[in-house]
Amino acid sequence: MRARGYGAIVLATLLLTSCAQPTQRYAASKAEGVYFAVPNAWHKIPMEALNLQEAKSTAVGAAEKLALVKWQEAYSPDSRIGPKETFSLAPTNSPLAFVRIRDLFPDEINAVSYNTLRDVVQPVTNWVNNPTAKTPIYNIIDDHEVIQKGGRGVRTIYNFIVSGVSQTVDQTALMADDHAKIYVFVVRCTTTCYNKNIKEISRIADSFTVRGTK
Amino acid sequence: MSSAEPQGSRKRDSDRKTRVHLSVYDRTKFILLFVIVYLVLVWASLAGNPLLSVSDAFNEITRTRTWLLLLVVIEILRQMHFLVSEIVAPYHGIWQKYFQSIDFALHRLSDWTRYRLSRVIKAIIFIALLAVVLGAIYKESPIRALFLAPSALWKTLPMLGQLLFGVFFVVIQFAAMFWFLSRGGVDTYFPDDIRTRFTDVWGQDHVLNRIRENLLFLERPEEIERHGGYVPGGILLWGPPGTGKTLMAESMAGETGKPFVFVDPGAFTNMFFGVGVLKVKSLFRKLRKLALRYGGVVVFFDEADSLGNRGMAPSGGQQRADRAGIPAIFGTSCHGGSYLAPSTASLLLRESFVVGGAAGGGMGGGGGMGTLQALLTELSGLKKPRGFLNRVVRRTLGMRPKNPPKYRILVVMATNMPEALDEALLRPGRIDRMYRVGYPSKAGRVRTYEGYLAKVSHSLSAEEIDKLATITPYATGATIKDTINEALITAIRNGRTSITWPDVIKAKQLKELGPPEDVEYIERERHAVAVHEACHAVMAHRVRRHMAIDLATIEKGSDYLGMVASIPPDDQFTRWRTEYESDILVSLASLAGERMFFNGDNSSGVSGDLESATTIASLMEGHWGMGSTISSHASNRRFEIGSPGGAKGDSSKEPRGALGNRIEEHLSVLLKQAEKILKENRSHVLALAHALETYKTLSGEDVSAVIEGVQGSIVDGRPYRDKAFLAKIETYHKAALVAHREHQTPDVSIPVVKQVN
Repeated sequence: MRARGYGAIVLATLLLTSCAQPTQRYAASKAEGVYFAVPNAWHKIPMEALNLQEAKSTAVGAAEKLALVKWQEAYSPDSRIGPKETFSLAPTNSPLAFVRIRDLFPDEINAVSYNTLRDVVQPVTNWVNNPTAKTPIYNIIDDHEVIQKGGRGVRTIYNFIVSGVSQTVDQTALMADDHAKIYVFVVRCTTTCYNKNIKEISRIADSFTVRGTK
Repeated sequence: MSSAEPQGSRKRDSDRKTRVHLSVYDRTKFILLFVIVYLVLVWASLAGNPLLSVSDAFNEITRTRTWLLLLVVIEILRQMHFLVSEIVAPYHGIWQKYFQSIDFALHRLSDWTRYRLSRVIKAIIFIALLAVVLGAIYKESPIRALFLAPSALWKTLPMLGQLLFGVFFVVIQFAAMFWFLSRGGVDTYFPDDIRTRFTDVWGQDHVLNRIRENLLFLERPEEIERHGGYVPGGILLWGPPGTGKTLMAESMAGETGKPFVFVDPGAFTNMFFGVGVLKVKSLFRKLRKLALRYGGVVVFFDEADSLGNRGMAPSGGQQRADRAGIPAIFGTSCHGGSYLAPSTASLLLRESFVVGGAAGGGMGGGGGMGTLQALLTELSGLKKPRGFLNRVVRRTLGMRPKNPPKYRILVVMATNMPEALDEALLRPGRIDRMYRVGYPSKAGRVRTYEGYLAKVSHSLSAEEIDKLATITPYATGATIKDTINEALITAIRNGRTSITWPDVIKAKQLKELGPPEDVEYIERERHAVAVHEACHAVMAHRVRRHMAIDLATIEKGSDYLGMVASIPPDDQFTRWRTEYESDILVSLASLAGERMFFNGDNSSGVSGDLESATTIASLMEGHWGMGSTISSHASNRRFEIGSPGGAKGDSSKEPRGALGNRIEEHLSVLLKQAEKILKENRSHVLALAHALETYKTLSGEDVSAVIEGVQGSIVDGRPYRDKAFLAKIETYHKAALVAHREHQTPDVSIPVVKQVN
């Protein structure tokens, strides 16, 4: 009799919980006051994995930079996409959303501008102002100022061709009001993929909300 | 509804076939609580994430807080179970039986084991809950959180400290004061703390046997409980001071295998209202704990009269007034003022009137301010469920609170003023048994003397010890111990280490009479006092058979000029008219003698004797049916019908005197008789007065020796048979009489006894 009683409790609980699936996957760093939402099916590439990958970099000052990273996470519907793909600039066939919050170095605090914010992924301003032979073929689709509670910056949507493959980047880069940190949110994939998922990608990029630390 | 069913009385829980119906609120309160918690969580998560939609917030909470749902489900099932129990009697019956069997199984463990187990379980649950809550706060595993808690607490201490300082600064003064005030006065002894045993209490075997029985029941309660009885819960030991009540309690503490709690007489006397109540409550909390832990406890209230009473109830008042009316020392037949010299007896009598009157009118001292009431309630109040978990948690969960276990507390009270105790305190159920710890029997006194003498070096024979016990009829353990000690002091002062018979007698006289004041009377006064006491002694020797003279003295003490002390030779429990009349004769002998020897003059020294004589005569006439009327003055006074008087009826025209007149009549008849007896014994009185003037103090034996003219233990009475010597004494008396009248020194010096060999 008792076993049946426990069974009833477990069953009823399962029934009540199984239908309760949220429509989206909410990514948030409550400490930093940063929120965005990706579709439910997307998988998360956690911060630990990304940090591990970044630590492998041999570039000058990479380690110091990593030390200043407050939060970084990536999401993608494609389970094959991992930390390595997140940091390489190679175009992906599935969308990849990446958020990164980092404190600025003291010399960066005074130097930071909307242009530096535009250049967080690719040196877009240089491409426009000082085109050289090495400048890839690019097209800026949108560029507008974003002002949020926790900071201000620009959202730039552009595509460029590397190794013959066109890639579209929807990037939002904000600077905290006290210039102490920058908030970067990038959603990218091949242009074909981008066009196919434009609605979803726009919704994801739009959901990026910076409240800032309290 | 069947007619056999009792109307208007709520059914007992055990008589119900189904569960009591729950109110709607009780049915839904937990579900309501869980819903509120759920909504609060949803609200919190909505507030925490600006992107979150309401439906997603609900979904998320539902998904992540499974425990809440689990609780809801359990609660629903529980309510369904209750509902079925309320409707279907067999179902309820099954569960009742199930719980009964669990209860039965649990009760197979001893109360103490269950108490310990439940304490351990409660502690574990508390720690587990704390761990879970802390884990949730620190976002750690519960176990880890438990270890983190102290450091977190340490960090917040300064802030907490500031906060608490503010609160405590105000509160602590009162709290500390009350705490200190409610301390003390209660000592707990554990078995083997005390070495006194029943064998150390001598001469009170009848009471001891009863106490032993009580202890036996305390230690093996099942012997009486199995047969449907209950363990007597209270004993009152009352009796004169020094008869061993406290010693008995101490021996109980030594004898029992249970803890013994000793409550000081002053424990409940407080400056502030309510502290006494607090003390009583904390005392009984302690007692219950000890009773559970050790399976029983003995609590002893020494000088229980200090607890006071709540004033007189109308019915009780009457009785007390009566009791105050009859002097306590004459009220009982087994002891009284009659063993004392008349002056001392009258002194006691006066005191008993004063004290009795005060006790009758007063509120009773002691604890007061609710202390006694608190004690009464604790002794036999409602058997209410105890403990927070039991009373609050179980009731909240819809479970019946468990009845308290049987606390086996044996209350022992000792007092020498049982009439000062509240009547409610003495009712069965609170104090079931009342034992009078009286003066020890002669055998007990012998045993006590032997006991104390065994501790010192002495040369007393068994006969002497027996005699000592005989001449100290109202000796208690305390006075015996004191007398032996005094004898030892006397011996040591005289350069000996061993007690002899004279040491004991000297100590006894010192203890009974106090140290002589070493006042030298002027000769004529010395003679007057000697004649006064000689009259008493000769009268006592001639007419009184129920008492023997213990000693006669003319050494001035603190409150007497001289005295003739008497003791009853046997333990006698009834008194007769002839005995009282001889008592009155002995008392009146002083007045008769003074008038006879001093030509009709008499001193104020007879006042005590007259008071004593009048009191006895009044009681004889009004209370004891030893006069010319039968009706009891005590009843007459209660019904306010006055004492019998007026015409004697048809047989005689002579009117009956009022009570006062009849007493006076009786006394004057006896005075005449006393005069006659003294006239016949004139030479004996003068001889004894001479002996008293010569030796100051005479023992009973010597008094007899002087009167009978034989060899006594110290004084040789044979010279007093010599006519010539008696004539000398008569001459001396005449000279003293002249000196008395002229206020001069007598011109004849006191004759000296010739040694007869």
